[in-house]
Amino acid sequence: MDNSTIVCRCEEINKDEIITAIQLGAETFDDVKRLTRCGMGPCQSKICSNLVREIIHEQTGISLCQLKPSRMRAPLRLIRMKTLADHRTANKVASVLQDSEEGGV
Amino acid sequence: MNNNYDVIIVGCGVIGSSIAYHLSERQKHRVLVIDKGFPLSGTSGATQAWVWVHSKTPSWYGELSMYSAELYPFLERKIGDVEYKRTGGIAPFFHEEDRKNAEQLAESQAEVGIDIDVLSREAALKKEPALSPEIVGATFSSIDGNVNPFRLVELYIKAAKKLGVDFSFYNPVVNMKKQTDQYIIETKKGEFRAHKVIIAAGPWSKELGDMLDIQVPIKQVRGQILVTEPLAPFLKHTIGGLRQADNGEVLIGYSKEEVGYDKRSTVDVLQETANMAIHMVPSLANVNVVRCFAGIRVMPLDEYPIIGEIPQLDNAYIAVMHSGITLSPLVGTLMTELIVDGETSIDLNRYHMGRFSHLLRNKML
Repeated sequence: MDNSTIVCRCEEINKDEIITAIQLGAETFDDVKRLTRCGMGPCQSKICSNLVREIIHEQTGISLCQLKPSRMRAPLRLIRMKTLADHRTANKVASVLQDSEEGGV
Repeated sequence: MNNNYDVIIVGCGVIGSSIAYHLSERQKHRVLVIDKGFPLSGTSGATQAWVWVHSKTPSWYGELSMYSAELYPFLERKIGDVEYKRTGGIAPFFHEEDRKNAEQLAESQAEVGIDIDVLSREAALKKEPALSPEIVGATFSSIDGNVNPFRLVELYIKAAKKLGVDFSFYNPVVNMKKQTDQYIIETKKGEFRAHKVIIAAGPWSKELGDMLDIQVPIKQVRGQILVTEPLAPFLKHTIGGLRQADNGEVLIGYSKEEVGYDKRSTVDVLQETANMAIHMVPSLANVNVVRCFAGIRVMPLDEYPIIGEIPQLDNAYIAVMHSGITLSPLVGTLMTELIVDGETSIDLNRYHMGRFSHLLRNKML
């Protein structure tokens, strides 16, 4: 890999950008992700996760076994909004105007 | 390494980093910012990042939010492109009886200079054609917008660094003590001393307060957000509940759960959030969800920001609030005035922590 190698295909993030994030103090995959968008695309870091861990290891000396993978969140693969929705009415999801009547927030 | 500072800020989220940057502009103090993790790993990195004003009530709180929103264009000129967009904000309503409340809101906010239009169904749909035809109206204000929270915090930090602020990440504070005229901050990476200390640790401020025998009157609230695949631009405004980011993703969510520091995502809230998305913008039914995320936000017990001196503790300050993204430019400015000049250009009396003293006396916390 040279510094122009694309590490995250979804967001087109190259090795150089990842090194810049590490130089700012990033020590984990998720630190790098939030600074660069690496791993935020459709594959959700399935491709770049280990590549980034290797780069962090190479740059900081933190051992690979201490470098956690990215934080996985649902959905594991793309899902249509209407498939996720269950068409009940919301009760934990509030409305902005309702809040303004109650004051604050 | 010299571990003595004039000011130590604990917490490097959007509030801590903004205070650090604004203090550094004055070039009066040696400043250190300590964070237990890495910036954006807590609340500030798990938000839709609205810069939201118009439905903040009562009007004195709306006014504070408005002043902060007005600072964003100037901030951007100083620290760089934080993708701030004053899109205008729309809060749709679905029941005719809400129109009266919307009109009352417009009237009370007008007193402080926040312009709100109460839109008819047709006017709202004309403004934002993607909205559901089932709405009966909406409130609209041009002052609302949004920002990229990752860029914002990163650029606050970079600008502050350039002006000489020190940062220490992955460095939890273990204990804080007051010793005559200085604070001793014990951390995982050693001991630091400062004349003034500022707690800006969002939901984690409670534990820091405990170290100084101060009860910080806050609770933790979890918010869960859905992220769609990137879509061609189709939402022009920041909508109460969702917004489209620069890269085309739509961020959706307005949930609040009191579950302590639990950051997990839960299926029930994700489903409800998907319901809300389709309810407000029906065309979202057919788009793909790429990810969800959850963040812990701080909620002061009366829901209003806590900004200013910590009562009964000289040279200790606190800045914790729910809407840190909206308020960060103003809070950074005002905290800097308080620390450098000893007084603020906007009266912060209402936001002083002393307002909770009756709760503290009655041990209701």
